[in-house]
Amino acid sequence: MFPADFCYVRAGSLAQALELLAEGAAAGEDVKLLAGGQSLLPMMKLRLAAPQTLVDIGGIAELAGVTADGAGTTIGALTTYRALQRDQRVALAFPALADALAVLADQQVRARGTIGGCVAHGDPAADLPAVLLALDARLEIASPRGTRNLTLDAFLQGVFTTDLAADEVVTAIILPAAPPGAVGSAYEKFEQPASHLPLAGVCAVVVIDGEVITSARVAVTGVAGRAFRTLDTERSLASARPADTVIAAAASQVATGVRPLSDQHASGPFRLHLAEVLARRALTRAIQRAVAGEPRPTLGTPCGHGPDDSKKGPAS
Amino acid sequence: MPGSRDVLVEVTVNGTPHSAEVPARTLLVHFLRDRLRLTGTHVGCDTTQCGACTVALDGVAVKSCTVLAAQASGHEITTIEGAAQGGGPAALDPVQRAFWQEHGLQCGYCTPGMVMAVRQILADNPDPTEADVRAGLAGNICRCTGYQNIVAAALDAARRLRGA
Repeated sequence: MFPADFCYVRAGSLAQALELLAEGAAAGEDVKLLAGGQSLLPMMKLRLAAPQTLVDIGGIAELAGVTADGAGTTIGALTTYRALQRDQRVALAFPALADALAVLADQQVRARGTIGGCVAHGDPAADLPAVLLALDARLEIASPRGTRNLTLDAFLQGVFTTDLAADEVVTAIILPAAPPGAVGSAYEKFEQPASHLPLAGVCAVVVIDGEVITSARVAVTGVAGRAFRTLDTERSLASARPADTVIAAAASQVATGVRPLSDQHASGPFRLHLAEVLARRALTRAIQRAVAGEPRPTLGTPCGHGPDDSKKGPAS
Repeated sequence: MPGSRDVLVEVTVNGTPHSAEVPARTLLVHFLRDRLRLTGTHVGCDTTQCGACTVALDGVAVKSCTVLAAQASGHEITTIEGAAQGGGPAALDPVQRAFWQEHGLQCGYCTPGMVMAVRQILADNPDPTEADVRAGLAGNICRCTGYQNIVAAALDAARRLRGA
């Protein structure tokens, strides 16, 4: 299996990528950006996508890497899942993100897939949008008109549909610093075993002050046409004391009013059921982590004790 | 706009530089198998799921059915042919040796990908638990063994590599 014929060009910088996109848009060509290619290339091989030109931005160093300061954490769009998974700062600050990275696709796909590619692709069953929505992520987007910045919530529109224009590039994902109080977060999924994509995935971020939940953000993926925040669940948790009954009541509202996806992998009612169960689990674990003040994730592959990827060489 | 349907691919594979002009849509796995005749890397599912096509790109395991040869240009590839250091059983990579000794294969179709994936698991974590190995092999499918002996081989290779 191979993709339909296309033209290939490598962009050496963001400026060059923007120029190429503008040129393609002016010529009325169907141009797609190629980052890690772990979603786009399979779609092209199945001929679900057949762009005329691929602009390969995979090698643009300025768009990769993680920087953190008091205001938050900025993740370059071309940062791979593997690089994120091996970044101790990410694991410590965002346990839910570490949870998701440990169960997202597989080690080979994580080596190439990028966080920016994930959000730009708009797959309703991707893991990260739930986590990024619950962490209140914003996107930085570049175009010939300059840079704009919007919430992921405003960016995601529907099945493989986002607010990204043909001449724009997602350049970074920005996660705000945690609010004051004891914060705990967790991501839980139930996967389709062949694709590893979630039939449902839920991320919970809770802040506890004393013995009361001061705020909660809960988001769901895999269940509807786009990942969404579940405001009913969030509202029912605010100012509540964390208890199993409170969590169960909140989780029961996780998809109120949502019209679920239904396909050969899972029926709509099954997806809704999974979302409720996973919401309960994610909330329980997030609350446990907040109370324990122990941000290290308990699941996942170890971070940061392998050889540096920049040092090439076989494994043994 | 610039861009071409044929691209010059320059890669170093198992230490040997190669260059060839190929259609832009050529996948790395086909470049390795059909151009370079390195047929140890297999095509299984062709949909990024089974891992039979796993190779190391700049030292990191990837699925070569989901990388364009053009994307790999300028980079270094290690295939299963580059794992052993010469011929004969004595030259086998420790992971290959462990698969042999633990009977980690039956038909052998998935084995090149399994070996390349296990090398990555052990490079990242020299002392994995059984659960770590199983999680690490999420992207490799074997339809013969039931995975038991593959996991045993990975744990055996880890012990040997640690000198324990």
